[in-house]
Amino acid sequence: MSSRSAISALVLLSAGLLTATEPLTKEQIKSAVLSEAVTIPTPGEFFAAMDEQGQPNWTQMFAPKTAGATASREQMALMLGVLVADGYIAVEAQDGQGVKNTGKEIINLAKKLNVSQSVISRGNSINDFAENNDWSALREELEATQNEVKLSMAEQKDKDLVILVTVGAWIRGTQVASDFISKNYSPGLAGLLRQPAIVEYLLAQLGMMPERMQKEPLISEVQQKLRATLELVHTKDRTPLSPEAVNEVSSTMDSLVNDIAKGHKES
Amino acid sequence: MKTLGILLLSASILCAQEAQDSRERSTARSKVLELASAFANDGFKIRDGYWSGVLEPGKPQILAVNLFAGNAYWFSAAALAPAKKLSVALFDENGRPVDGKVYQEGATAAAGVLPDASGRYFVRLELVEGDKADFCLVYSYK
Repeated sequence: MSSRSAISALVLLSAGLLTATEPLTKEQIKSAVLSEAVTIPTPGEFFAAMDEQGQPNWTQMFAPKTAGATASREQMALMLGVLVADGYIAVEAQDGQGVKNTGKEIINLAKKLNVSQSVISRGNSINDFAENNDWSALREELEATQNEVKLSMAEQKDKDLVILVTVGAWIRGTQVASDFISKNYSPGLAGLLRQPAIVEYLLAQLGMMPERMQKEPLISEVQQKLRATLELVHTKDRTPLSPEAVNEVSSTMDSLVNDIAKGHKES
Repeated sequence: MKTLGILLLSASILCAQEAQDSRERSTARSKVLELASAFANDGFKIRDGYWSGVLEPGKPQILAVNLFAGNAYWFSAAALAPAKKLSVALFDENGRPVDGKVYQEGATAAAGVLPDASGRYFVRLELVEGDKADFCLVYSYK
């Protein structure tokens, strides 16, 4: 037995049932920390839950987006997030070539945003893992690449762009998921779209961006459509979204992804 | 000249302190990754993102997370000395405790849950025994 297996066996055997504990107070709930790196789930987590509740045909669903020509750094950051989500879809589809192509697109776009060399070397790791069909490692590598891009952006005083990468990935993940759920509706699947806290967090972060960025037509469209989405995903008593609400989320996300991927001649 | 010297000395002390803090957190991270790898062996994927900070007696830290029904999760935490005993617990969006599994061994602890609804949850990390120490928390899902 390897040392890792031994630790695993020990931990799993000694894990006991959680004993009842006092509820959190309102003050404690209010004081909860929101840390983007752990509070916002990856598209991979979302897709794993979809796998449990439905049987998505990921190969059919993998229709990667290509970044349109733009000089807008905000649009590039959003597109970077879209591509990261595409990477997760390619992993779900177990499409090695698709992962490599998406990884290449991510690195090309990251270069345009002048991110550090360390991000670029991540591209090589993505290729190596894809070559070996190491899907589990690829999920971790995609998240690590996204985090590295964000860190590099923050280091070069582009910290306002960081949230846009997260927003882009969330929009793309939600587009793919809501499209599947609208065609295969079940309350269990629709419940996965109930993410008001995430939308609230994204809106709050976008609201903290400099005014000049918020005035960009694409950013203002994202804010407006996320506000409309919040109304749809904020259901009472944890009830799942209705089929109509799922359709509306799906068409809203569709239009957002298309606008993010679209090139802008005037830029 | 003397003022400049004092400023430079203060800056280097601050930098050294920051480097020390960062080293300690990264040690707590190594420790927690060792624990989380036990779950990885059982098919759980470890998130690259982590949450770190300082834990004090009587001052639990609370983190908001978003979980999906259908997934299983393990939240693992580790603290450095002089922390002696930690506890990790999960609560739903209204602050009610969520049933699940717990693991506790010295200054490492973990809580495992299978959420029955998607949405916001809270992780409470508490220093049960010992003194103020750096901690790191990661989570895994499958």
